[in-house]
Amino acid sequence: MDAARHDGQGGAMTPCDVTTGFFVLGRCGRPAVTGCPQCGRPVCGEHAAPQGGHCPECLAALGHGSRDPHDPSWVAGYRRRHYERTSETYNDTTWYSSFDAYDRGAFEPGSGYTYDEGDFGSDGTGFVDS
Amino acid sequence: MNAAQGPRAAYFAFDRFPSSKGSAVHIAQMADELFTWAGGGLLGVLGGGLPRYQREGTREIVRFDAPIPNLIDRAEAYSAWVAGLLETRLETLEVCHVRDPWSALPVVTATGRRYRVVYEVNGLPSIEMAHTWPWAAPETLAKIGELERFCLARADAVVVPSRVIGDAVRGLGVPGERVRLVPNGADVRDRPRRPDDAPGEYLVYVGALQPWQGLDVLLRAFARLADLPELRLVICSSVPERRARQVRRLAERLGVAERVDWRFTLPHHEVAAWLAHAAVSVAPLTGCARNLDQGCAPLKVLESMAAGVPVVASDLPAVRELMADGEHGRLVPADRPAELARSVRILLEYPEEAAAMGRRARAHIAGGLTWAHSRAALRAVYRALTPSAALSRADR
Repeated sequence: MDAARHDGQGGAMTPCDVTTGFFVLGRCGRPAVTGCPQCGRPVCGEHAAPQGGHCPECLAALGHGSRDPHDPSWVAGYRRRHYERTSETYNDTTWYSSFDAYDRGAFEPGSGYTYDEGDFGSDGTGFVDS
Repeated sequence: MNAAQGPRAAYFAFDRFPSSKGSAVHIAQMADELFTWAGGGLLGVLGGGLPRYQREGTREIVRFDAPIPNLIDRAEAYSAWVAGLLETRLETLEVCHVRDPWSALPVVTATGRRYRVVYEVNGLPSIEMAHTWPWAAPETLAKIGELERFCLARADAVVVPSRVIGDAVRGLGVPGERVRLVPNGADVRDRPRRPDDAPGEYLVYVGALQPWQGLDVLLRAFARLADLPELRLVICSSVPERRARQVRRLAERLGVAERVDWRFTLPHHEVAAWLAHAAVSVAPLTGCARNLDQGCAPLKVLESMAAGVPVVASDLPAVRELMADGEHGRLVPADRPAELARSVRILLEYPEEAAAMGRRARAHIAGGLTWAHSRAALRAVYRALTPSAALSRADR
């Protein structure tokens, strides 16, 4: 709970690590006052939940997110629900989204063997031919 | 099944169907058995130039053909497509049969599913893609391995074509009683007519040209048979000509290109004719992780045996399940061109013994490795999974 607290007058400040913004995301950056008991990252006084000191994402995950769009903490809950809903199409909450650009980059056409796209080529090379 | 009622069974494969590859033969047999048993069903496969929708009596065929270049992006879109297909059919489906993790993910995670899932594992992309996508990082392949484990853990039965693959699947944590062996098969048919353009005496290779197939080993072995000027090598490639570039270049470098005859994407019955009249059929599979750890069940070996042709194949555990050394042909150490050439030479020099091996191989297939045997084993899996009256009615 007792995260490094510095006020910028001496020593290094630990910035708040909460994601902010809706269309353009960034880090909050204000001096942190506590650490989220769930995920452990530094949270500033604005973003820490009044009880427990959770960060907004963890609070939303716990089901305490605000439903009021005028409440600044609403964004975190909305974002979380958006991710849940859009990945729910086939209940894949984690898998394909776990593939980042680096993972996918290896599977561009031409990255396979020059004469063979692998077993998944679109032109007649099926999966697993023994 | 009638159209209003919806299908009781579905088969999904991230694979073009039909095609000239061995996988298509396999899909045809397995899906046909499923639909015969369930009185119809839905087949979801890849298209690309093939019709998006077909209805054949009680069977519906739908094809995914979005031209998405990146493989993972394509797989992701395909999974979503399968999920969409399932959504409208959740009420009626009793069995879903899948062939790969991209099909399995939406099938095992569908909310409120009441159907049973049969996951047919012919290979593990987490192992196989290391060969075909050399830029894929180990971490990336590990994620695919994670997906395989996720889907396997949720499947009601896991069907494998060989014991080696069965071991690999058990190694991923699937309980032994859920793993069912359904060997691949081949049909024993009357000897087809000799192809008009067949050379006098030839070795034959049938199949695709991926690195693990060992075409390079075969070509190097063939270079050692240069003292037999009449002998030719016929390669019946199941993939199109442009994919043969690298193998052809190697043949030229080894000085054997003039003695190699290429045939591309022949229909299955023409391949059978080339097999039946060959002196020896060669399956030079390499000793790589794909063939050793993951395992395989090479149809080329089974189909050569069914055609009554002596086989020279790599001595891998998966091949040993299908044929015996000296009985149905010869098993040679993998990746050893000299050994391969020597075994071929011996069979050519003792044609009577070679013919006897071919006859024994044919009898061996007829005795227990036909598609009818495979399909009976698969039907037993379905029967054990769904003892429900609904499906039993269709089960004649």
